Parts: sequence; C-alpha cells; structure tokens
Amino acid sequence: MAEERVGPPERRLPLFRRQAIEGAPGTIKLAELPFAAKFVLRLDPAAGEAAFRQAAGLDLPAAPLMSVVNGERAVLWLGPDEFLVVAPEAEAGELAEALAAGLADTHHQFTEVSNYYTAILVEGPKARQALMKLTTLDLHPRAFKPGMVAGSNFGHAQAYLWLEHEEEGAARLRLYVRWSMAEYLWCALAEAGREWGVPEQEPVAGEPMLTESVTSRKA
Amino acid sequence: MFVITCPYCGERDLTEFAYGGEAHIARPHWREDMSDAEWADFLFMRANPKGVLAERWMHAAGCRRFFNMLRNTATDDILAVYRIGETPPKVEARLPATPSGEAPLGSGNDAVKVIQPGEGG
Ligand SMILES: [Zn+2]
Repeated sequence: MAEERVGPPERRLPLFRRQAIEGAPGTIKLAELPFAAKFVLRLDPAAGEAAFRQAAGLDLPAAPLMSVVNGERAVLWLGPDEFLVVAPEAEAGELAEALAAGLADTHHQFTEVSNYYTAILVEGPKARQALMKLTTLDLHPRAFKPGMVAGSNFGHAQAYLWLEHEEEGAARLRLYVRWSMAEYLWCALAEAGREWGVPEQEPVAGEPMLTESVTSRKA
Repeated sequence: MFVITCPYCGERDLTEFAYGGEAHIARPHWREDMSDAEWADFLFMRANPKGVLAERWMHAAGCRRFFNMLRNTATDDILAVYRIGETPPKVEARLPATPSGEAPLGSGNDAVKVIQPGEGG
C-alpha cells in the first residue's frame, strides 16, 4: 500500500521552527543550511585517493583538519581515514552511484548521513567570538585558518566546525551537528550572540512527531 | 586547562577525550585448559603503578581515534603520545622537584617515588 507523503517539505528540516536570525549589522548571522547531501566515507587515502578523485571529481584533503572544495561539492577531514562528503541535494543519488562504482575495488565504507547531520551557518565578523564562548577549540585566526575542519564540543553538543571562507575578518563557518542536538545548539549559539543583538531563542521542548500536528500548525 | 595532544588533531582540551584504561593488554588466545585465574588476570588485573603507565585514550569529540599515552600517574605529566600499533617510546619520568619530595602537581603529598615500568611491585 503506497502511502501519500503528508506534511510540508520543510518538516524535514531539523530546525524547521527556526528562521535565520542576526545581530546588529556587521556582527553575526545564524541560519540553517538545509537539504544538502552528506556522506561519511571511510577510506584509506593511500589506497583510494585516485579512485575517489575519479568518481567524485575532487581530491581528498591532503592534510589532517583540512577540506577540499570544488564548486558545490566539498570533502571535509573527520579523521585519518574518515571524510564527510557534502554535495547539493539533487546530486545525492548520482554521487552515491559514482562512488560505489569507482571504489568497488577498494576497501571502503560509504554511508549516507544527509538526515543525520544538519548544518548551521555562523557568519560575520563576530562569528569566531561567539563560537569561542561555546568551545575549547583555539579559534584565534592564527590557529584556525580558512579551510580548516575540527570536531569538538560546543556547549554540550558534539559538532564539526568548518571555516569555509574568511574575508576581511568576516568568517563564514558551518557547524555539522546531529539532528537531535541541532535545536539545542541553535539556542546556545543565539545565546552566545546576545551581546551583539541576536534575538533570544526560546527552547522548544518536545517535538510533534505526527505530520497532522504540523499540518494543523500551518493551517 | 589540561591539554592532550591527539596524534592526528594536535593539542586539544581534555574534555574532548575519553579514557580507555591500560594499554597493551592482549586478549589471550582461548585454550581448553585455560584457568579462571588466567582469564581473570586478563580481565581485571592492572598494573596501577605510581609512575609511568601506558594508557589508551580516545579523541571522542574530534577524530574519534584511539591512541596511546605514557602518563606519570603521580604527577599527571604526559610523557609521550603514540598511535595504536606503535612501540611505546623510551621516556624518563620527571622526579619530584619539591624539597619535601612531593610532586608539584597531582596526587596527594605522600613521598612520591616514581616507579618505572618493570620496577618495584
Ligand atoms: Zn584527534
């Protein structure tokens, strides 16, 4: 029996109750970056680098804690043989097929985590300072440079922080966090941004798991 | 702040790590005549020295890899960090530096004798 899909598509967002928020102009901005295809790839770079490049169209990071970007695709270093592959949602199937075929002869593991992690964008000249309040990572520009990825604790949530881009002191960072911790981390980030005028975010307790309640919310 | 150097990620705060107990304890091959004592020795008996101990740690919030560490349990000095499968490097434990013979940091103030692996017991 085929079931009809009920509910609005934004129901798939871990942070579907949240709108992008920001502080005073030129300080900090928070937004969820939804609907990207994400894969965790376990692969010995020495054995599978060439095959990966052929299949995915970009290199594996050459050094620990680094990332590689090609267009809208990116590969983030998570561990010595573990990488997060990010691509636009529409390319998920195509990428998975290409990697399965390309890495068929190499010992590897490839897991889709598109709905396991979500990404929170933390952007602006105060982005580093806001994040410093939540983590023990050294986020000084001298230590945490553009392109770097680091897993750490942010408040009580484990997440991977990626400094995607930085220009004239304005950093664009992404936090890859597990779905169940996204709501918490969102509120913690908003709290960290309060001094620059980021609006307070009320934590939402419990989640309506039934699509009907979401539909009625929309009505 | 207690800083641990992950062999993959570099210097990170202690709160990112999980402790994995004593390192280099090999699970014995099962034999029919293996005694309970032998099995218990593998399961429960640890060196617990006051001095240098080889330990396993895991970078739980970062790269999620296990690695080994040589730590002086009397002073909390981290003497070496090395990857799984590597041989523990030779280290020299720092002797207590204070006049009364106690360690400047770490565990209590009994006269600290630093015991090297294989010594004492
Ligand atoms: Zn690490």
